[in-house]
Amino acid sequence: MHLRNFSCTGWSVVGLVAIVLIGIPLRGNPAAAESQFGPIKAAKVNAKKAELGKRLFFDPRLSGDAAISCASCHIPEKGFADGLALSKAYPGSDGFRNTPSLINAGQRAAWFHDGRLGTNLNDVTREMLTETYLMNMDMRLMQERLKQDPVYVQMFKDAGFGEPSNGSVRNAIPEYLKTLTSRGAPFDSGNLSDAAERGFETFKGKAGCAACHSGPRFTDDKPHNIGAPENPEIWRNPLRHVTFVTYAKFLGVENYMNIRRDIGAGIRTHKADGSDNGKFMTPSLRELKYTAPYMHNGMLRTISEVVAFYNNGGGNDANKDPRIKPLGLSKEERANLVAFLESLSGVPLTSAEHVWKDKINVNYQPIKDWLKKRN
Amino acid sequence: MNFLTTISRAGFLASIFLVPAFLSSNALADQNLPLAALGAVPVPADNPQTSAKVALGKLLFFDPRLGGDASVSCADCHAPKQGWGFADPISRGYPGAIHWRNSQTVVNAAYLGKLFWVGAAKSLEAQAPSAAKGAVSGNGEADMMEARLAFIPEYAKQFRAIFGDRWPRISSAWKAIAAFERTLIHDQTPFDKFMRGDKTALSAEQQRGLKLFQGKANCIECHNGPLLTDQKYYNLGVPRAEAWLNSGLAQITFRYEQYAKGVTEDMYRTIKDDAGLYYRTKQKRDKGKFRTPPLRYTAYSAPFMHNGSFFDFGELIEFYNQGGGTNEFSANKTKLLKPLNLSDEEKENLAAFLESLSGEEIKMQTPKLPPYAPLD
Repeated sequence: MHLRNFSCTGWSVVGLVAIVLIGIPLRGNPAAAESQFGPIKAAKVNAKKAELGKRLFFDPRLSGDAAISCASCHIPEKGFADGLALSKAYPGSDGFRNTPSLINAGQRAAWFHDGRLGTNLNDVTREMLTETYLMNMDMRLMQERLKQDPVYVQMFKDAGFGEPSNGSVRNAIPEYLKTLTSRGAPFDSGNLSDAAERGFETFKGKAGCAACHSGPRFTDDKPHNIGAPENPEIWRNPLRHVTFVTYAKFLGVENYMNIRRDIGAGIRTHKADGSDNGKFMTPSLRELKYTAPYMHNGMLRTISEVVAFYNNGGGNDANKDPRIKPLGLSKEERANLVAFLESLSGVPLTSAEHVWKDKINVNYQPIKDWLKKRN
Repeated sequence: MNFLTTISRAGFLASIFLVPAFLSSNALADQNLPLAALGAVPVPADNPQTSAKVALGKLLFFDPRLGGDASVSCADCHAPKQGWGFADPISRGYPGAIHWRNSQTVVNAAYLGKLFWVGAAKSLEAQAPSAAKGAVSGNGEADMMEARLAFIPEYAKQFRAIFGDRWPRISSAWKAIAAFERTLIHDQTPFDKFMRGDKTALSAEQQRGLKLFQGKANCIECHNGPLLTDQKYYNLGVPRAEAWLNSGLAQITFRYEQYAKGVTEDMYRTIKDDAGLYYRTKQKRDKGKFRTPPLRYTAYSAPFMHNGSFFDFGELIEFYNQGGGTNEFSANKTKLLKPLNLSDEEKENLAAFLESLSGEEIKMQTPKLPPYAPLD
């Protein structure tokens, strides 16, 4: 693992030097160069705001009972997902969906597996912090917690935000998320094995994956119905089912007590014919190495299982996308596809550049001379 | 005495109907209702008491699933062993936070016209959800709490039988809790027995205290009627909570409350004490005012005042003996408070009388709560 990373990084350095010297665009991989796919451009970020956002991301005081932080479910070592089929949730609850990776999340067009937020990371941050089964935080109380921590008071000031406020939290966390960009994937650096090269051809050709998994992040950012199987654990475990009911009721799903199905993007349109039910956002294929299990409910454990699922024509659903059909891939073609998909994972984003490493003192000190200080 | 009380109450009621409409109710308000034994608990017409409802309400009162992270129930801040309140000056509040006021006893709360220290809730049915949802108290969310109830089969069954709910409705939960609270009645105190005619119920010392209460100490000015409260709002000059000077957590909640209650930015920046009734009315004259608390069950419900400033009757009586205190809102301090010049013996008599306002402790074990189960 270490050796592979080292060689990968080493190659990148050589590549960069070559670019600087020769002045050609970064395209180590002829296959990538000829297509819409390719490395993800790092976003421009304000370093101080991102640094502040990083500390906030790892601070449990941003949840109602100060028990969980964003990083409790978006774990750096697990590609900013959590490695579980179904996520945890705010204490007292459990989740009913798979935690999505946050790597490259800044470039999405819509967020959550159902794509119910299609605006920006600022809104996503608000939703994550305040939703009762996520972090259950009254942001007014959060603001006052932050104002009590001198480290934050200084960091907000340094970032140009003035005093800590809800609005600046909703700006700083997205700024940090924008730093979570894939890098060092063999696919981007031209380090593909022959099997992966052939897998890429199958991906674009016979398997038809690229119909939805397109662009630098390998997603069209749209919801589709592939007939992914339900996860029965949701309906067996009251703590998960309660969360689903809370979600469905709030989003106006009729008959929320009696459905035993995650209707996905149907929650956005509430179409009478149910034709949007069972659609979920096409996930990015980047960083799969770290983010198993797969699908919106973690029902597929390995990349091989995912490939087998598609090879069999997906699952069963009346509204399944007609493009999902048995593929007739040989064993070798499937193995090649897996090799290709594995080449889309980069280096882990686990250094201090992306992770707040200092201990956060979560105990609050009283403000001295409180009577003389402005609140 | 009982007879007299009835007569005077009848007279009072009659006067309401007979006085011309242009006489404001303030004119009547200055008449102190006489002290009396506690009568029957009022029950709202839309939430009649049934034993099944009370039994359900008891379970819900102790059930932490009616809160954000399913770790705190009503009974955590209104703890039976702590006088059905909380024994610290400031209530513990939600995990990761602290409250900003003293937790009041639930005992006899059913008699009060409005709940909370500044009367922010008009009924027990309205008080429960406010406490369960507030960010520094229960931090629960209605949809989530309601959903949880549906996954507790024993509750689903009882809500159906009692309220006719297809699935438990959260509003029914508040009704059941209110019904349970209407059973936490403390009306067999020595004082009540005395007022009902048992002249041996109060010791000679206590009877002297009663006389002072109604006379020289003039407690009766506000602590009157069968409840020993006029349910009005006063600023006594109670000093600010010590916690705001020495606890970071308390300072956070203090600012949060200003923010959440919608004061002006200038006030948010400069205020250093709890403005009380002001948050409801936004009238300057109401700054620092809190509702006169009832006095029964106080032997179990210390500390006293909205911020728990006083730990026993001695401290309390000394505060009044000195004519109250001073605080940030002293411009609004009630003119009713003046130095009382009570002797040590008089103070002891008064304390002895206050003791007579508590009878036997209302004890209750935490009930076994029904578990979650998957739906069919």
